[in-house]
Amino acid sequence: MIKKSVGKVKPGKKSLLNKITRQSLEDQVRQKTDELNVKQGQLQLGADREKIAEEQIHIRTKAMEAAADGIFIIEARNQAFLVVYANPSFYKITGYMKGDIIGKDYFLLYGPDFDQRVSHEIRKTLEQGKIFYGEMLSFKKNGEKFWCFLRISPVRDENGIVTHYVGIKTDTTLIKQRDMEIAEQREELLHVTRVGKLAEFVSSLAHEISQPLTAILSYAQAGQRLLVDREPQLHEILQFIISDDQRACEVIRRLRTLLKKTKPSLEPLDINILIRDTVLLIMPHITARNKVLVFNLAEDIPLTEGDRIQLQQVILNLISNSLEAMDERSDSRQLTLRTFLQDANSIMVEVTDSGCGIPEESLSKLFSHFFTSKLDGLGMGLSISRSIVEAHGGLLDARNNSGPGATFYFTLPVSGKDL
Amino acid sequence: MEMKKVYVVDDDESVCRALKILLGTFDFQVETFNSSRNFFDTVSADTPGCLLLDVNMPGLDGWATQKIILASGSGRPVIFISAVRQADGVARALEVGAVGFLQKPVDGQTLVDLIDGLPGISQAVLE
Repeated sequence: MIKKSVGKVKPGKKSLLNKITRQSLEDQVRQKTDELNVKQGQLQLGADREKIAEEQIHIRTKAMEAAADGIFIIEARNQAFLVVYANPSFYKITGYMKGDIIGKDYFLLYGPDFDQRVSHEIRKTLEQGKIFYGEMLSFKKNGEKFWCFLRISPVRDENGIVTHYVGIKTDTTLIKQRDMEIAEQREELLHVTRVGKLAEFVSSLAHEISQPLTAILSYAQAGQRLLVDREPQLHEILQFIISDDQRACEVIRRLRTLLKKTKPSLEPLDINILIRDTVLLIMPHITARNKVLVFNLAEDIPLTEGDRIQLQQVILNLISNSLEAMDERSDSRQLTLRTFLQDANSIMVEVTDSGCGIPEESLSKLFSHFFTSKLDGLGMGLSISRSIVEAHGGLLDARNNSGPGATFYFTLPVSGKDL
Repeated sequence: MEMKKVYVVDDDESVCRALKILLGTFDFQVETFNSSRNFFDTVSADTPGCLLLDVNMPGLDGWATQKIILASGSGRPVIFISAVRQADGVARALEVGAVGFLQKPVDGQTLVDLIDGLPGISQAVLE
């Protein structure tokens, strides 16, 4: 275009035309240069974005590969749910290898021992386009059982169609085991506590009843002696009183043998470990009440000998009482558990609260049978706690703190055996 | 009239009263106390008379009381009476220097036979 117009121009006007042409040439070049720059900028931007996107994908891939949970991706196109990706943790958790999984039906992974109802449930949930989550007993490649928490979510394309599923598998075996252990311990403790409470109650009852039964017997026998050789009918009546009284005593005697206190079965114990284990059982109660537990457990405490379950009952009882004492006041939140070696032969355990304290007049009655009869599921009467501690060769007592609250403390003898 | 002296220490009022009445029909003179403290505050160690001692009491229980009596050198004969069943009660009682251990409810005749059989009981006589 430019050449043509230059060729037809007369020599006289050449310089003017050249100027004009040069101008528009320069303009056009400038324009094109600008366009090029913009394009280059765009390309660069595109390249940068692509680089960032690549980096992100790279990081995300690395993250998936590094995740501690098992992550897997299933293709949703056909009826069979084929696994297209699994991260190293998935292989580790399930015990499978790449060749076993990739391209295979996801449900085959569960093996023949898996509960069919669960796999059916998973399939149904996924087919409905919903997220599946559940905890289940699963099987590794080698048949080994493990508990896992599984979540599978649908992945949709721009049109909202489900193209894939992404699943997260978490091995919860250890957590589950610990939970079951704690639940078992709680159950056992509750059971022993209930039996202990019942036995204690019956024992107190029997004791209280036998006093008037004793008196009745003595009165009747006295009456008989006063009526000797006189009033045979009264004598007979008194005899009936005596024999019925003896019958009642027999019932008491049988009740007592039925619920005899079990002797403690002794084993070497680390009191600090026992305390920590026991706290685990009551922790929900502590956090629910918004209280704070402080441990002040001496480090080199020697072992003691005792019945683990019985001593746990004592510790639970004391903590439970302290929690109740602090219930009244919202500003008192601290419960301290302390152990230390009192002397060469005895270990001291202290449970200190910042609660309402013990009224002076109650101090002496605190450990008697009928002082409290709270039917709190975990705690037992202080009288039972005291009998347990005494059966272990220790002493249990209480005192008010110089500040707010009270301290319950008991001693346990140091074990004579070396371990 | 000569009367044999018996002391009863039991925290249960009913038991004290009943034993007093019953032993009364056997011609004993009975003085009762609700606690060992009251007994020690009232009766000196050189005053004779056997002691029927309840085992389970708040404060000084039967065993602790017997310890004190033994230590006092008074030689006072002590018979334990217990509401709580104790399998080795008799053996334990003898070990700590008591002369007997009876389970409640106490049969009158059994008790009296035990008291009567005590050496020197005839010396525990009120002037």
